[in-house]
Amino acid sequence: MKVLWSWLLELCDLDKVPTVEEGAKALTRAGLEIEGLTNLGAGFTGVVVAEVVAKRPHPDSTKLSLVEVITERGGAATQVVCGASNVPAPGRRVLWAQVGATLPNGMTLAPKPVKGIVSPGMLCAEDELGLGAGAHGGIVVLAEDDPTPLGAPAQRALGIDDWLLEVNAPANRGDVLGHLGVARELCAALRGRLVLPDAELTEVTSGEGGLPGVVIVDVFACPRYTARVIDGVTVSEQSSALARRIAQRLRAVGVRPISNVVDVTNYVMFELGTPLHAFDADTLTAGEIRVAPAADGEQFTTLDKVVRTLVPGDMLIRDGARGIALAGVMGGLDTEVTSATTRVLLEAASFEAKTVRRTARRLGLHSEASHRFERTVDPELVAFASARAARLLAQVTGGTVRPGRAETYPAPRAVAPITVRLARVRMLTGVALDAAACRDAVERLGFTVTGSGELLQVTPLSVRTDVAREVDVIEEILRMVGYEQVVSTLPALRQPPGSLPLDRGDVVRKALAGAGAHEALTYAFQSAERLAALGLPATERRAQPIAVRNPMSAEQGVMRTSLLPNLLAAVARNLSHGRADVAIFEAGTVFLRRGEAVSERPLHELADEPTWAAGVLAGRRPAQLGPGTPYDAFDAKALAEVAIRALAGDAAITARASHGAAYLHPGVAGELLVGGTVVAWFGEVHPQVRKRLGIDAAVFAFDVDLSKVPVAGPAQMRPIAKFPGTTRDVSLLLDAAVPAARVTEVIDRTNQPLVNGVRLLEDYRDAKLGDGKKSMLWSIAYRAADRTLTDAEVDGAHEAIVTSLLENLPAARR
Amino acid sequence: MSELNQTDLTIQQLDLFESEFSSVIAPLADEQAIRAAQAQFLGKKGKLADAMKVLGKLPPGDRPRVGAVANRIKATIENEVARRLGELVEVAAQADLLRSVDVTLPARPMPAGRLHLLSQVRLEMVQLFAEIGFVVAEGPQIETDWHNFEALALPKDHPARDMQDTFYISEEIVLRTHTSPVQVRTMLTQPPPIRIVAPGFVYRRDDDLTHSPMFTQIEGLAVDVGLSFADLKGTLLHFVKRFFQKDLAIRLRPSYFPFVEPGAEVDMQCSFCGGSGRANGAGCRLCKGSGWVEIGGCGMVDPDVFAHVQIDAEQYTGFAFGMGIERMAMLRHDVNDIKFYYEGDVRFLEQF
Repeated sequence: MKVLWSWLLELCDLDKVPTVEEGAKALTRAGLEIEGLTNLGAGFTGVVVAEVVAKRPHPDSTKLSLVEVITERGGAATQVVCGASNVPAPGRRVLWAQVGATLPNGMTLAPKPVKGIVSPGMLCAEDELGLGAGAHGGIVVLAEDDPTPLGAPAQRALGIDDWLLEVNAPANRGDVLGHLGVARELCAALRGRLVLPDAELTEVTSGEGGLPGVVIVDVFACPRYTARVIDGVTVSEQSSALARRIAQRLRAVGVRPISNVVDVTNYVMFELGTPLHAFDADTLTAGEIRVAPAADGEQFTTLDKVVRTLVPGDMLIRDGARGIALAGVMGGLDTEVTSATTRVLLEAASFEAKTVRRTARRLGLHSEASHRFERTVDPELVAFASARAARLLAQVTGGTVRPGRAETYPAPRAVAPITVRLARVRMLTGVALDAAACRDAVERLGFTVTGSGELLQVTPLSVRTDVAREVDVIEEILRMVGYEQVVSTLPALRQPPGSLPLDRGDVVRKALAGAGAHEALTYAFQSAERLAALGLPATERRAQPIAVRNPMSAEQGVMRTSLLPNLLAAVARNLSHGRADVAIFEAGTVFLRRGEAVSERPLHELADEPTWAAGVLAGRRPAQLGPGTPYDAFDAKALAEVAIRALAGDAAITARASHGAAYLHPGVAGELLVGGTVVAWFGEVHPQVRKRLGIDAAVFAFDVDLSKVPVAGPAQMRPIAKFPGTTRDVSLLLDAAVPAARVTEVIDRTNQPLVNGVRLLEDYRDAKLGDGKKSMLWSIAYRAADRTLTDAEVDGAHEAIVTSLLENLPAARR
Repeated sequence: MSELNQTDLTIQQLDLFESEFSSVIAPLADEQAIRAAQAQFLGKKGKLADAMKVLGKLPPGDRPRVGAVANRIKATIENEVARRLGELVEVAAQADLLRSVDVTLPARPMPAGRLHLLSQVRLEMVQLFAEIGFVVAEGPQIETDWHNFEALALPKDHPARDMQDTFYISEEIVLRTHTSPVQVRTMLTQPPPIRIVAPGFVYRRDDDLTHSPMFTQIEGLAVDVGLSFADLKGTLLHFVKRFFQKDLAIRLRPSYFPFVEPGAEVDMQCSFCGGSGRANGAGCRLCKGSGWVEIGGCGMVDPDVFAHVQIDAEQYTGFAFGMGIERMAMLRHDVNDIKFYYEGDVRFLEQF
């Protein structure tokens, strides 16, 4: 809501007029945050009102004239060269940018010869002062009746010696969507008195009759409807001083002046917060205004020349059966006030907030009127707004107001007193307020108070539709007293806080960061295309993401079912920045359809939101000097194991080749199992997948379903070995296809109690070993908890294992 | 001159070994050579053994005397060996100390990943509220319209819904626009007293320098007997002072959130200029010279919200607050574009 400082002050009677900064501060402190403060006249300096006393042609130019101006009655005239074609006759006033003046384009004026004659400054057009729509329409010539004195700053004549306040009106405060409401707040804050604008109709009323009947079919949607008739109207541009002032103010608050009639309805809306509408009364034929719901599919053409298709929830103002306005939103095209209009029907009404909001939202038609009605327009204010606008219409159009107003207001708004318990006030605010303080606070707001002692009866102003409960009044009291009166205390801790559930994500985040990867956060949504790049089979739950119905862009069209696409996109971005070495991970929520995945079915229930951890590696490991060695699938495997271990402690993790992860290279894909359940995948990202995501270099990834990883309790200490152990090595010649895990599995199955650890020392492949063969050197550690082992014991165990390996793998000893 | 007998000759020969060994060992400078020299004299086939072969031929009465000489020679040689080896160790130790490396070479990189700045800040905020008894609560990010809006006194067609432009999944399912639905879920399942903080991702259709369609909030809720606005203010003040490690003041400004009454916006003294409004000889760019920055919203739980979760608003009062974690990180770490948080740019991630 834009508020003009001069307009605001006009509506306040204050003991001491505050500066605009003081006013803004007082309003902000009371809860009307002033988000912006603009000096409207700051664009230029040194431009003054001057009177033309003579003009004659430039001797060397047909287009230029020499204009003599004065800035005080009887003062010396100055000759200015002017190129405009509309230099007025002597006696009219213009705006003279004197030498030293600064203009919005940054220019500072100096005496300058124009075709041989020095001009001390220039006469200004609107666009040169940063006003108007930019078209150069000749110099500004003030109206003959313009009251601005000679020599005064041009800002005053232009109505921009003023400040514009940008008020952040809370959504529940429809009452401050007009200057009057803001003035009420300022008066409350500074203990001033509100000054209502003039709505006296006596001297502008004449004639009789001519009022239509008013029927409201749906009184919920329209609690009050009034109409007045003003006839003898001349629709024009802003010809009078009053009309110009209205237009200036509208322009300042961001509304384009249209005609004297429309300007008045807008002006009163900005003044009182009550939207109004003017119809050309001669286009209305039925003699009766009806406020009634639209028929399903009814067509209606609004002022903006758009044909709207309506639904029964929309309310229409009807002339008999014909729709003439979309209630509270916009008028109709064919009853619009035009330059030919001589009789105006002025609508002032209150339409119900939700009804207007639904219509405006459905049609995407947000007007100044609908904005206000959506936030509730007090029906009690409607009659005053009607009179105020009628008075101004008569004044600016030369018309007269027909006596009385047509009106239907079946259930006048009654404001009930609210019981306020002082004990409750003190308890909720934490401030020791007595009856006098509370009474003073609400009276400043114009509320009435009865009662005394510990119970007050407070009746809020009708416009304050947001104040209906005791707690609402308590907020008003605190607002007036000042939130800064509240001291700071800490709430007592009345019972021990409960234990915290383990945050799997945080446990894993810390572990993965400790292992050398940087944590990234990426959007929880992504494009369907990016997800599809993973190549997941269509039947998989993760291939059926939950779609956002109204995404900001297709890039954010679906909720992620995997952390990998956005992480891979981050890799691509890093590579494009020239950052070739990337090791990042994310632990976060993925969103899966609950139950059976049916992608076409709209989601009417919550999603499953398990936490996963995933990471991607590209480029090289950090090295002390020179480039490090390239990352490979085993870095990804290591990080996956770190993530699992962070939760599962020393539970056994087994690995096997994976055939189910479509986004991994078919030959470099593994999965990790804990307790027989696959909990993680790792490997090299499938070359086609990464290419689809714009990555040219090899990328390695892991993906862990943290919700499936069992959580170990606190680690329990194992005894530290007291007796030395020993190792025996065995070198095996194997089929290349036998995985290392198979060797450890056979060793495990041999069940030798002395085995204390198995390490692979060498995995050697060479054509000399024979076709499809490889050599592996394993080292097995033996130890007993209660004694030093003898060579014979160790040899026995080792031979048993080797025998088992040779038989079961099969393998040959090398 | 009497002829020397065999015994004397042997003794003479043995005595010569002493000086002979000295001259053999003198130039030797490594352990292996010294050991070889030792073996040459004292080994099984060494000179000493060789000389002693005659022992059996000597008169038995002389044998102890010759044996004693041999033992003395052996001990002397062994001592000499030990002394020389000791010398060598000492020399080697001294020589070792002459080693040097260029300590200005780069350190060998150890694995060093970082938690995301927002994770760090979130964990720290949770910790600071835990100090005064608040425990973490969580809720779904895909949320029902009822939990996200209706139960928070934001019915359909309420203009305050405009404050939070919403992503919809379906008519009744939304991406939560704030962490406040966690309040609702907590109050529905847990009787007072309640002290929770709920950090988490939230979503709004908004995208510019200071708005991201996904961002992080932390919500606080306390419900108990006798809680007042002063308790709310103190709780926020505790957080601000601890988080910024400065004695900054806070200021509550009346504002409107449908689910609290009285409601307020929370400002704190600017962490950058300390509230003076000036920094580096000019107007402070963080608070634009005002000395205050906005950090969140708060208020006393609205009785309508209590009604939705069946808590008796006469018996209990409560307060709630919400802050943006990005904003906190921005204020403390000078992050100037919210986008950086979500781009996975390593140049950003590795800084914190």
